Amino acid sequence: MESLHGLGTATDWIVMIAYFLGIMLFGSYFAKYNRSTNDFFFGGRRFAWWLITVSIVATGVGSHSFVKYSAKGFEYGLSSTMTYMNDWFFVPFFLFGWLPIVVYTKIRSIPEYFEKRFSPTVRLIATVFQLLYMIGYLGIGLLTLGKVFTPLLPESFSLLGITIPVTLMGVIVVIAFITGVYTTFGGQTAVIFTDLLQGGILLATGVLIFIMGVSYVGGFDAFWHLLPETWRLPLADFNSPPDFNFVGIFWQDGVAGSVGFLFMNMGLLMRFMSAKSVNEGRKAAAFNVLFMLPVSALVVGSAGWIGKALIEMNPAQLNPNVNPDEVFIAVTHIIASEGVFGFVLAALTATLLSTVDSLINAIAAVYINDVHRPLKKLIKRRLAAEDVESKKELGAARLASILFTIVGIVATIPFNQYPTVYEAHGYFHSTLTPPLVTAIFLGVFWKRFTPAGVLGTFLGGSSLMILGARYPGILVAPFAHGTALDPVHPYTYIAALYNTFVCVGIGVLVTYLQPLILKTSDQIRRSKSHKLIIDTMIVLIVVFLLMIWFNVGLLAVLLPATILLTIFTSIAAAYYIKFDPSVHLEGLTIWSLKKAKENFKGGKVNDREGQKVHVMWRLRKDDEDVINLSNEDMKKMNAEIGDMVYLCDARKYLGGLKSVHTRIGEPHDDPGIVLISKEHKLIAHFQEDKILYAEKEM
Amino acid sequence: MPPFSNTWLPFIYLYTFGGLFFAAGMFIIHKSKSLNPQRKSHRKWRKVLIFGYFYFMIIHTILILTALYL
Repeated sequence: MESLHGLGTATDWIVMIAYFLGIMLFGSYFAKYNRSTNDFFFGGRRFAWWLITVSIVATGVGSHSFVKYSAKGFEYGLSSTMTYMNDWFFVPFFLFGWLPIVVYTKIRSIPEYFEKRFSPTVRLIATVFQLLYMIGYLGIGLLTLGKVFTPLLPESFSLLGITIPVTLMGVIVVIAFITGVYTTFGGQTAVIFTDLLQGGILLATGVLIFIMGVSYVGGFDAFWHLLPETWRLPLADFNSPPDFNFVGIFWQDGVAGSVGFLFMNMGLLMRFMSAKSVNEGRKAAAFNVLFMLPVSALVVGSAGWIGKALIEMNPAQLNPNVNPDEVFIAVTHIIASEGVFGFVLAALTATLLSTVDSLINAIAAVYINDVHRPLKKLIKRRLAAEDVESKKELGAARLASILFTIVGIVATIPFNQYPTVYEAHGYFHSTLTPPLVTAIFLGVFWKRFTPAGVLGTFLGGSSLMILGARYPGILVAPFAHGTALDPVHPYTYIAALYNTFVCVGIGVLVTYLQPLILKTSDQIRRSKSHKLIIDTMIVLIVVFLLMIWFNVGLLAVLLPATILLTIFTSIAAAYYIKFDPSVHLEGLTIWSLKKAKENFKGGKVNDREGQKVHVMWRLRKDDEDVINLSNEDMKKMNAEIGDMVYLCDARKYLGGLKSVHTRIGEPHDDPGIVLISKEHKLIAHFQEDKILYAEKEM
Repeated sequence: MPPFSNTWLPFIYLYTFGGLFFAAGMFIIHKSKSLNPQRKSHRKWRKVLIFGYFYFMIIHTILILTALYL
């Protein structure tokens, strides 16, 4: 495998640097729309579906995709598209389950959901898993950025007579610094708008590469027939080779990855939470999976297919031993002229930045909600006035963005041990997503799932996963569907099936054994030495966890230790955590969404369908958070006093940037006029003489 | 001709196991009334969801046939 260096020319670098500067200025401009942490993280819940869709493309596709799918497209052909075409199976769960729950419960982070649904202890453990997942994702993103830039740079350069070698880690550190700047100061609104720009450039560039490549090899017919037959197939071989097979990738990506991406990727969820309504979020998600993902599959993989066709046409054009992660750069360098190469690289950089910036933003959100605020509560610090506190949190969020970027850099080290980014990402999904995904999924869709079940899943399930990673030939092999065991990276993909199975299995088993667990915990509670018994159990849980983490003992010892760990965890959970179905279930599962909507609105929901009305705005003197519409307009909207309403600048191309959510107050008799407060004007940045539209939300 | 394990076996596995997850999702959102067919917009969403499943199935069928015979 050979690595490339020094591909970029001066013109290419000028184009790229100009792009970087432009995008940083563009992102920083939108910082003015952040008036609180709500705006910083969620963009004030105001945007139209199409803006969210393009923004999702830039984030979802940008994350390492050009590099990793071009690598697999080069090695295995059109089956590199598999991962973009297997997401629909979980869309019903997302659109009508998780998405409305996330919006209506007003959660700021996934761990917060766990506190509401189960308990603060569960939230604490979920925070650890969530941060591990997000930092791992950030690490993958930064690693890919490094792999994109390193081939463009010389092997070393001289500064003041000192020769400085260009290393992957050095490149990652420099890029991470630049990436952090506009995320740190721009917030979610900046991320969404820069992504709008970048998403468009990304799609255009990807299509351009495909057209240029096909043209370079002599047209589509020549391209198609240059590819070997197996390269043209859209699905990989069922179970071989170990580094790219259908069944492993189905469970790793189609199941664990898809659910993980939709259900626990806060970067993505924050985009949907920025949509003006749940229905708008649904439209964005559906359009994205149905149309944008198939186009994206072509966009991100085509450089690899072109690379294969180039080698089949003339092996001298592209070294067949090229590092697969550098195929995208190598192919683009061959087919694009000077300057165009720089533009393509700028687009790739843009998409990678999109993923990394939204991840940094999302990690900061989790930090603020699940570490910063609970810690403040714990030390019982007197809280300042709400607006002062909000500004302080904004500062803490910015600092957290910087700190987690540094941690993300460190996270690139283990992933760099894998031959390609694709395999590193596959391993990441297989191992880090199952416990949290199982917990969210069972929590949302299964009313019976209890704190004992979720803690069993977290501790028992993850312990069995660790044992599976240590003894793959014994524990994972029965799930392998005939996939060969690679001794260096055992069952990179199909391990996801084993990991998901053990997490779901433990969660379900503990929940079904709940009556027995409750009975045991009651017996302990009635015992005179109940404190001693439960403390002993907790000590044993810690001892068993340490034994499993540090691999003390053989499988024959560790496996029973895991079973005992799960039993003790379940009993301790039943002993300590008071689970009240009226508190922990109402509005928090798919079975009580109506209640969730009522909680969101703070009263009875008005679901009657009505029209949008166009209005001109006038300022009111008071600062009450309501708007006043005319009786006639309210009739058209089928709205009542107290209903939630969305007021937005009617210029569609703004995508909801200038808008506000509020409630309907007492009506007046002046049709076509809406009375708003000064705060509404400030939040929404409404302009004089511009028409608005009002739409009833519920 | 590539082996069955590289052509139709992955396709059958994908839409059988994927189909089971999809059907479970449709069942749960109906049963919980999160998707309420009495609402006009939800009836549209139900059509979109079912369309999506067959849409991807048809795309994969066409791609496999094209790879094998064109």
